[in-house]
Order: sequence, then C-alpha cells, then structure tokens
Amino acid sequence: MRTAWSRGILRFVVILLVTLAALIALWPRVAPLYTSAVATVARPAFRAVESPNATVIDVMDDELHVYEIVGQGRITPVVTFEPYVFFAMAPLIALFIATPGLGVRRRFARTIAGAAALYCLHVAYLVVSVELIYATAEGNTLEALQVAVRVAWEVSPILIWIALTAGAWKRLLRTARTDRARKERSQSAGPVGAEG
Amino acid sequence: MTARRWTDWRRILKGGLWARLVVCAAIASLLIAAACSDGLMAGLQGGLARVTGAVLSVLGQAPVVDGNTVATEHFGLTVVTGCTGLFITGLFLVAVIAFPARVFARLIGVGIGIGGIFVLNVVRLVTLYFIGVHLPHLVETAHLLIWQSLLIVLAVLLWLVWVGVWGRSPQRKEATR
Repeated sequence: MRTAWSRGILRFVVILLVTLAALIALWPRVAPLYTSAVATVARPAFRAVESPNATVIDVMDDELHVYEIVGQGRITPVVTFEPYVFFAMAPLIALFIATPGLGVRRRFARTIAGAAALYCLHVAYLVVSVELIYATAEGNTLEALQVAVRVAWEVSPILIWIALTAGAWKRLLRTARTDRARKERSQSAGPVGAEG
Repeated sequence: MTARRWTDWRRILKGGLWARLVVCAAIASLLIAAACSDGLMAGLQGGLARVTGAVLSVLGQAPVVDGNTVATEHFGLTVVTGCTGLFITGLFLVAVIAFPARVFARLIGVGIGIGGIFVLNVVRLVTLYFIGVHLPHLVETAHLLIWQSLLIVLAVLLWLVWVGVWGRSPQRKEATR
C-alpha cells in the first residue's frame, strides 16, 4: 500500500538525484564565481576582526588562497581552500527544489533564504578557520573549537534545509497519517451491505 | 538503574522541546569530544579500513590494511576523520531525538542511523576504490562532489523512511483508531 508519505519520498528522491546530477555537472563553472563571491565579503570581514589587518585573500580559478602579511610587502601562505569546500551549496539547492509540498513562490523564497544563510556561513567558516589557524600557530590548543567549526561546516546545509522545510514535511506527514487512518477505518468497517 | 531513574530518562526522551534540545546538545558535545580523541578516531578509522579491506577481499581484490590505509598494488585509500561519517551520523541521531516518537522507535532510529550510515560509508569507500582503479581521473569528482552529495541524500532518505515507519509519535494510535 503506497501512502502519501512514501509517494512523497519517492518523488523527492527522484527529483533530488536528477537535480543533483545537473548541479554537479554545473558546479565546475559556478565554483569560481561562488569562491569570488565568498572572498568579496570575507575581505572586509577579516579587516573587521583583525587589528591590524593580517590576511590577504587571493582567488585563483576556483581555489581560494589565504596569505598572512608578515612584513612590509611580504606575505606567507597560510592555507588553501579547495573548491569542494563550498560545494554544499549544490546539495542544499537540490534539497529545496526536491522538497514536496512547497509552491513555486515559497520554494523560490526558501531556496534564496537557505542559499543566503549558507553563503553567510561559508564566509564565517573561512574567517573563523583562518583565525583559528593563527591562534593555534601562537600555541593555543583549540582542537575542540576547530572540530566544532568543522562539524558546523559539514552539517549546516542539512540544518538550514530542515529549518526552512520542516513545515512542508509536517504537512505531508499529517496528510499521510490521515489517509492511512481513513483507509484502515474503511477496511475495518468492511464493505457496506456485503452481509444481508 | 532504578525504575525511577529510568522513568526520568523516559520523561527526558519523550519530553518537550527543551529536553530534546538538551539531549541534542549533549550528542553534539559527545561527537566533538569523540572527534578530538586521537585513540577513538584511530580505532574508528582503522575499523572502517579493516571492514573495507574485508569487503574488497570478498570482491576478489588483495588489499593490505595498515592502520587506516587500505591498499592494493593498483590503488590505495586512507580513511581520515571526515571519511568516517561521524558527523553525519551525529546529525542523524540529533534528528531522531528531535523528532517526536516513542522511546523504542528512537532506539530503532539510532540503530538505523549508526548501522545504515556505516554501511553507506563502506559502500562509498569500496566504490571509490574501484573508481580509483578503473577511472582514476574521476576519483576527485566522485569523492568530493558525488559521494559528498549522495551521503547527504541517503542519510536524509534513511531519516525520512524512519519518520514514515517508526517516527509517528503517540498520535499514530489515535489516528488509526
């Protein structure tokens, strides 16, 4: 017996896989633009948290290179962020597109809101992880904080998606429950007039 | 454990949003502590490497497992913290705890999450090995883009299936009456 829930999940998975395949194919073209967009906001963010400003960011194709200013006109490499670091944007958008029970306008609004939230988190991840590298280099033991940042980076797309689509899933689950209850009630009542 | 303590735990697990948030925060803290523990992570990585090696042996390969590395003469894999699926498992557990359900259903969810994501991870490593052997130019894409997405998709799917089958909360009984 197929319930509204299992139908919804099946539809969700099929759309998700198709959308993901398209976005994975598209990502190599989008990644340089996205990396540049992250760097654009990260530069003033570094200036805001550092006094004096010690970080220089350089985007080469889809890689983001971070350098530390070590003297007059001298910089030293700190870390390189590979393009996959920001790839979670693709599964996040695919999750929004595939979520059942959202109308076009609501889906669009939530996708934009989710993408904006993840973009902000990516900028924050870049700034915080570089600052943690500096702090660790100065001899501070911040392993737990580094792991927490890593956990946040890894799970944030799913958390954002859950937060913005929980209502749609709740509605689908409620519909599935009601359907199931109705079917079970009609089965237990038996066919009307079967026994005369 | 006394009956009263057990009842308290049940109340926490079945309780309101705040109680669930506390349990979720505790799981997150435990995960971070686990990830910081070199011994635990080495054990987890080594275990995953051994299981992957065993599956590859069944599939006709001759892998050598050394610590967290599985290698044959054709290709080698090193299991690092990010490859253990620890964080996605943690998120799954948090999602199971956060969703209203009976204690027994939650225990099933915990089992499905830990077991299911572990199996998915082994499948991921085995497929990456074969991609590395036969299509080495696609390893990076398969590792960092395709499997990263698939793991999210499959973990979400696993959770949705759990919600549909077990995560129905006490309301289910009333709805079906």
